[in-house]
Amino acid sequence: MRAYELIKETFLRRTFIWIAHLSWLALYGLFWWLFLPDAEQFGGFLFLFSGFFLPLALSAGIFGDDIASGRICILVTKPFWSGQLYIYRFLGLSLQGALHIALTGVLAFALQAFMRKGSVEGLGMWLVASWLLFNTCAALSTSLSVVVGRSFNSLLLLVVIVTGWFVTNLLMGFLNAETMTGALTNFIRYACPPFELLRKFAGGEYEKFSLTVGRFSVTKSLACVVHCLMLTTAYGIAGIVILCRREFSRVRD
Amino acid sequence: MIVQAKTDPAPGQAASTTVVECQGLTKVFGGLLVARDKKVCALREVSLSVHQGQIVGLIGPNGAGKSTLLNLIAGLIVPTEGRATVCGHRARSVAARRNLGFMPEHPVFPGAYTARAVLRYHGALLGLSSQVIAHQMDKSIERLQMQEFIDRAASDFSQGMKQRLALATAMMSDPQLLLLDEPSNGLDPVGIVQLRDLLKHLRDTGASIVISSHRLGELEKLTSDYLFMHRGQIVNIGDRVAASKAGQLRVELVSGAEDLARRVLPAPKVLSVTDKELVIAVSDPEEVPDLVCDLAKAGARIMSVLLQRENIEDVFLRLCNEGT
Repeated sequence: MRAYELIKETFLRRTFIWIAHLSWLALYGLFWWLFLPDAEQFGGFLFLFSGFFLPLALSAGIFGDDIASGRICILVTKPFWSGQLYIYRFLGLSLQGALHIALTGVLAFALQAFMRKGSVEGLGMWLVASWLLFNTCAALSTSLSVVVGRSFNSLLLLVVIVTGWFVTNLLMGFLNAETMTGALTNFIRYACPPFELLRKFAGGEYEKFSLTVGRFSVTKSLACVVHCLMLTTAYGIAGIVILCRREFSRVRD
Repeated sequence: MIVQAKTDPAPGQAASTTVVECQGLTKVFGGLLVARDKKVCALREVSLSVHQGQIVGLIGPNGAGKSTLLNLIAGLIVPTEGRATVCGHRARSVAARRNLGFMPEHPVFPGAYTARAVLRYHGALLGLSSQVIAHQMDKSIERLQMQEFIDRAASDFSQGMKQRLALATAMMSDPQLLLLDEPSNGLDPVGIVQLRDLLKHLRDTGASIVISSHRLGELEKLTSDYLFMHRGQIVNIGDRVAASKAGQLRVELVSGAEDLARRVLPAPKVLSVTDKELVIAVSDPEEVPDLVCDLAKAGARIMSVLLQRENIEDVFLRLCNEGT
């Protein structure tokens, strides 16, 4: 009952959320209708937009809004562990992401069937990878929203990730021979949102390894999924700890 | 002066249980990165206890620390020093939250929810079953006269409607402790009377209520105990009896009041004096006959005597003036 109400509230939180969903879907439709690319381009576009940009938009200020409006004062005085609030809010977001990605898949298959051009082969893996990335980014953004007010958290996350990506690439270019580069690469690969690993997972790049099923290596693919889920959990736990320790009023009247 | 506020239980409730217990509560706002001189001490060594079936009014000027104290009891903030418990459980714990209903000064409800959906939502958050939610909802609708707007979107509500709805959500689980921050904000006169009756009814059924309010007249009709706060401290624990005993004696004379005041009365007793009128501070009505007698003996030609007793508003203003 409590879980249902909180997930539902997250789902219906703001009108802006539905505008974001519809705009994104229209964007995919337009892109695929105009270009009808192959599966790799189909998936890459979906992966970036619904896996990375969509969670930033949906989880923008998810707790920041509650805190700014004062609604959090009601929520955290109710008799349940504050971590539950985080978990149900996050599940609401994840469910939204799943629904969005499922609709995107239907749209892609419908367009391909209707236009009889391009390819949707392996699109299912791209959809799964997109949803996994969505969850990780949503957890990161949600945790940040406990600390950073309103929607600035998403903007901050976007700027940090994009800047970090450029700086790291530059550094790697200059310091290719240095041992530090390896450590930095590993840190980015394993501690930051798993863009690279999930992209390889969805693109079927693990086929060269043993124990393959079709195009995919089961062990590598599983490891990639587990790694992604572990990161989501770690980001989520950080958010829960902050939420449980945070104070929610600075009024001095 | 720091007053250790141990408000007495209501008459006939001498053996009642303590619902709120605060010991040496201090709250300093400002994190590790804030310079020491920029930190704000919102509450300073406040101790108080609230008993079952008691209504306690928190009064004080803006910035006195009333909301901070409410927030500490509600568990929204943690004390820098000291300890607060609700029904024996540490404030902020789930067990403490199970026993309290909190109504903030500016209630906010989820998006496009109707009042009915808001009540159902809060019932679910409280962990109540569907049947209990339905029962509590019917009770709240009737008690707070919400029939007319129960199926309207809460976002379109007037301030008064929002207050009623917020109060209904705070009462959903029949908590032992209600923390109300400015509950009569935006209510019309009928709503204020209904609120007063409802809170009295809740008190009679054993609930303890802590109210922070600037509407002193309303508070006076409702509460038996006041805690006057100033600069983060409880500086006075008033009750209705003490408030009604103190007052001003207005004596109208034919002439010579200034000379008389100088000769007969100690300076602190004289509040104001003109040639024909003398205003004297009295702490108890029983002082009046002696005072009048002393004045007559000193040759005063008294035309009229009027005793004006202090109400809670006068006490508030007096304490504010003393505080500053």
